[in-house]
Amino acid sequence: MNSNFFGIMDISGSGLTAERFRMDIIADNIANAETTRTPEGGPYKRKVPIFAERVENSIANYLSEAKAAGVRVIGIHEDNSPPRLVYDPTNPDADANGYVKMPNVNVVREMVDMISAQRAYEANISVISSARSMVRSALDIGRA
Amino acid sequence: MGIDKVGNTGLGGIGGLDNLNSNKKKMNVDFSKILSKAVEQVNELQHEASKMQEDFAAGKIDNVHEVLIAAEKADISLRLTTEIRNKIVEAYKEIMRMQI
Repeated sequence: MNSNFFGIMDISGSGLTAERFRMDIIADNIANAETTRTPEGGPYKRKVPIFAERVENSIANYLSEAKAAGVRVIGIHEDNSPPRLVYDPTNPDADANGYVKMPNVNVVREMVDMISAQRAYEANISVISSARSMVRSALDIGRA
Repeated sequence: MGIDKVGNTGLGGIGGLDNLNSNKKKMNVDFSKILSKAVEQVNELQHEASKMQEDFAAGKIDNVHEVLIAAEKADISLRLTTEIRNKIVEAYKEIMRMQI
């Protein structure tokens, strides 16, 4: 089921899954933009998904050649850039000098990433719908 | 033979099972077998799609697109099979109408 129209749908489907996952991560980043406590200690760190090309390793493909079949998420990277320091002595997490370590999340940047993820999702949808209309027009050959 | 050819190339598209080389070997398979196999595959895809819809309704699947893609696959394969069947029946009728 690789080199047909269903293959296209599976590939784009993997893209949709990946973009949805990226959206999850962005939501997490925005939700935790002000989080100063984490299980590991210290402020929340911005997370970034790592995408990798998905290669199918079935026997059929092994005999011919490995086929690329979409994208997959292989991990989540933590942005280790330094935390934002905000002067707020009343905060319970403030240090001796009154500074609070805030997460290294820039909400504006997350919004830009969010739009990018949304557009990428839409692009994958467009591939699916044009594959579908290709099949439909191919089926119309029989009706001529 | 002409009928077999139509069946083979058309239905090969559903499962991607037959490529051009294996078509030659399969020339002798009768049409009813091919059709029932294709219907079986369509049925399987329909079942898969309805199972996914159930799972989605039950909250087991959180990716909406997976459900819709499965439904779309089922729809396309059903259309393809119907189209092929129509063609074959049309050809059959044409032959039956032949004056002897």
